[in-house]
Amino acid sequence: MFDAALHNVLPLMPVWAADAGTKVPEIWRSLWLIPGLPLLAAALTALLGPQILKKHSHWPCIVAVIGSFIVSAIAFLNLYLGTAAPLYTADWAWITAGNVDIPLKLRFDALAGTMAVMVTFISSCIAIYSVGYMHDDPGYSRFFAAVALFVTSMTLLVLGDNFILLFAGWEGVGLCSYLLIGFWFYKDSAADAARKAFLVTRLGDVGLFLGILLLWWGCQSLDYDKVFKAVEKGTLSETMLFAASLLLFCGAAGKSAQLPLHVWLPDAMEGPTPVSALIHAATMVTAGVYLLARCVPIFLGAPDAQLLVACIGGGTALFAALIALTQTDLKRVLAYSTLSQLGYMFLALGCGVYAVNLNAGSKDLALLAVTAAMFHLFTHAFFKALLFMGSGSVMHAMGHVIDMRRFSGLRHVMPTTHWTFLVGAIALAGIPPLAGFWSKDEILLAAYTASSQTDGTVSSIYFTLLCLALLTAFLTAFYTFRAYFLTFCGEVRIPEEADAHHGHGHGDSSHHGHGGDHHKHDHHAPSAHSGPPKRQSYESPAVMTIPLIVLAVFALGVGWLLGPLGIKAFSFAGFVEHTPYWPHPEHHEHSLNWMLMGLSTVLAGAGIGLAYLMYSLQPALPGQLAKSMQALYQLSLNKFFVDELYEALIVRPASWLAKGIRSVDMGLVDSFVDMLGMAPRLIGQIFQPIQNGLVQFYALAMALGLTVFLLSLIYKM
Amino acid sequence: MTALSLHHYLVVGAVLFALGTVGFLGRRNLILMILSAEMMLQGVAINLVAFARFHGNLQGQSFVLFLLTVAACEAAMALALILMLYKQRSSLDVNVWQDLREPGWEPYEDLEPLPEQPAPAPLPRLTVAGKEPKKRSQEKSHV
Repeated sequence: MFDAALHNVLPLMPVWAADAGTKVPEIWRSLWLIPGLPLLAAALTALLGPQILKKHSHWPCIVAVIGSFIVSAIAFLNLYLGTAAPLYTADWAWITAGNVDIPLKLRFDALAGTMAVMVTFISSCIAIYSVGYMHDDPGYSRFFAAVALFVTSMTLLVLGDNFILLFAGWEGVGLCSYLLIGFWFYKDSAADAARKAFLVTRLGDVGLFLGILLLWWGCQSLDYDKVFKAVEKGTLSETMLFAASLLLFCGAAGKSAQLPLHVWLPDAMEGPTPVSALIHAATMVTAGVYLLARCVPIFLGAPDAQLLVACIGGGTALFAALIALTQTDLKRVLAYSTLSQLGYMFLALGCGVYAVNLNAGSKDLALLAVTAAMFHLFTHAFFKALLFMGSGSVMHAMGHVIDMRRFSGLRHVMPTTHWTFLVGAIALAGIPPLAGFWSKDEILLAAYTASSQTDGTVSSIYFTLLCLALLTAFLTAFYTFRAYFLTFCGEVRIPEEADAHHGHGHGDSSHHGHGGDHHKHDHHAPSAHSGPPKRQSYESPAVMTIPLIVLAVFALGVGWLLGPLGIKAFSFAGFVEHTPYWPHPEHHEHSLNWMLMGLSTVLAGAGIGLAYLMYSLQPALPGQLAKSMQALYQLSLNKFFVDELYEALIVRPASWLAKGIRSVDMGLVDSFVDMLGMAPRLIGQIFQPIQNGLVQFYALAMALGLTVFLLSLIYKM
Repeated sequence: MTALSLHHYLVVGAVLFALGTVGFLGRRNLILMILSAEMMLQGVAINLVAFARFHGNLQGQSFVLFLLTVAACEAAMALALILMLYKQRSSLDVNVWQDLREPGWEPYEDLEPLPEQPAPAPLPRLTVAGKEPKKRSQEKSHV
């Protein structure tokens, strides 16, 4: 029924190239709708938003994103119920020059499909949520245009069938991220954060582009199919695979904010909270993980690069968790937690593949590792989006105060936000049976298996990484519940901005305009103006809480349902392993390591318990601890001084260099050009006295000139 | 006495043109400069008529008709302009008009200034008879 309707509406959609002669259902004609609908909405909102749509600017975006979700869900179901062979759109010529032939072509396989469904679903929730959050913002239509453009780019990134389309989407999401971080560009901090994010990710993108060029050089093509087939055939030398892997990882590390390119993500929290939830937690930052998962065949041939990926992932996981311990800004805690969880995913990506080359017999570990990473990506998207939206709800209600020292006990005044946040927090902490537990456990299992299947130094490295991951699991539970207890438990304290904010009408964000210094000031004035609550309820409107509830249900359910103990037909790993060019599974049962599961649960429980002890039972304890370990506390509070290090090592030398070049330009180049400009003026000054305004002088000059001319004509004939 | 040939006419035309040129360059009175310019035109007109006669066709003649028309118009306009200029500065000296010179340069200073002329006698006025009419609030100036 739906196929027929779509077919009628869109007779001009590209016809699917029937793969291997099978009749492909008509529905596949509509695959271009997935990025196309949001693009249309973005154009519509951008053109008509400020003048015509105004307060209704969210409609094109929401309708398009939900439509995009429906189309990808139908495509997904077809894939799921069918043969699980990837589906393609027809080639549209895009770049054709010499032997370069890059088509506009989408591909919907298990990996891309999972990503597309997840992205469009989360985007739908967040687009609806934003209606409440961004209510009354002067840039309302601009926001929704950028969000729709983001969904376009992101779906293009995951659905593109070649590296160039991926790169186009990659840059598109980077642009949207820049636009949305700097959404309140009149605040200096937001503009700086946007520029920082753009520049730092650009650093990674250079690597990615070089990697793509290297693959082109080696394979003479950029289609996934051709590249991966060439790699499997062994066309590329080991050195080249290693270099390509490193370069691709460089791009991934930039986009997914891994060490040492992580500095942009915490600052990116300057953007509106729905943006933090959508782009900087659930979707865009996981693009790096997607890239590496897509390029598994390449990484299979480069074990050393894999080891590096694992080390950087594990290192980032622990590093970010340590910083998150002391941050007082709720969104920043979540941002560092995102870094840490992304680190987990990279750790997993780096785990499995190393073993493949050592024991050529078993590729199960490789598959286990990459599915673990993708599973964590999937579950993380739900609960982290949920947590961010919960924090956004708090921020919205508290008059844009997000410093955890300024409010507490919010569970009495914001019950829905409280419950949904709690679900997200438990999921992040990794308590069974919520989402985070299952996927994190898969990652731990991958690391454990990697260390047991390798030997020598490599084994001990993986064992160390496993220990780091377990420590991180403990820290994760601790800082998550620290944030939870500080925000939602204890006596009820509400910052005065909340009521001032409410007085102007609900959701009034008019103080954004002059909010720059005001905002900063808030952060450094803890609990100065707090008082008893003036209202019974600070709960956000239904348009914000309903997406929260939906995501909370998913955060509760997906891990259990799709995880290793869930229903076999719904198994995430069982589906996503059909991705072409991933190593084929040799035996199908998912081994469960009960000991590891128990250990991680105990550690998570201990983390929660410690947080309860420190922030609920004995609130004086954290201060004493901070005093007794001042050096460590300062290190964590100041984010290990990485920003300062960058400032000293890169930013300042660069600015000195820029100043030097500027002085050369101003002194040498410009003065030369000025001299050239002076010449006509000097020559002109010689003749200036001639123009004296006397008519008869002019007439005389004319007569003389004519005479001279005539004479020369006569005598020089 | 030999018949007048083409050369005689050309000489007369050239003399008229040359005198006109000298007059235009040398006289400082605007009206005389215009008259000199007219004289140059007439020199040219004589040339044209002479050649028309020499060639035995009417092209030069017709051209001179146009020339006379244009000269008449030009004289009318020039005199009107001169009248306005005179009203502005009360002088017909061409050298009082040198505003369109290179900015920043001193104006040309007259080495032989014209002798001071006494102001013209005021126009005769009729004695007021009857009731004095009400003055209009703003008298329009013609300048």
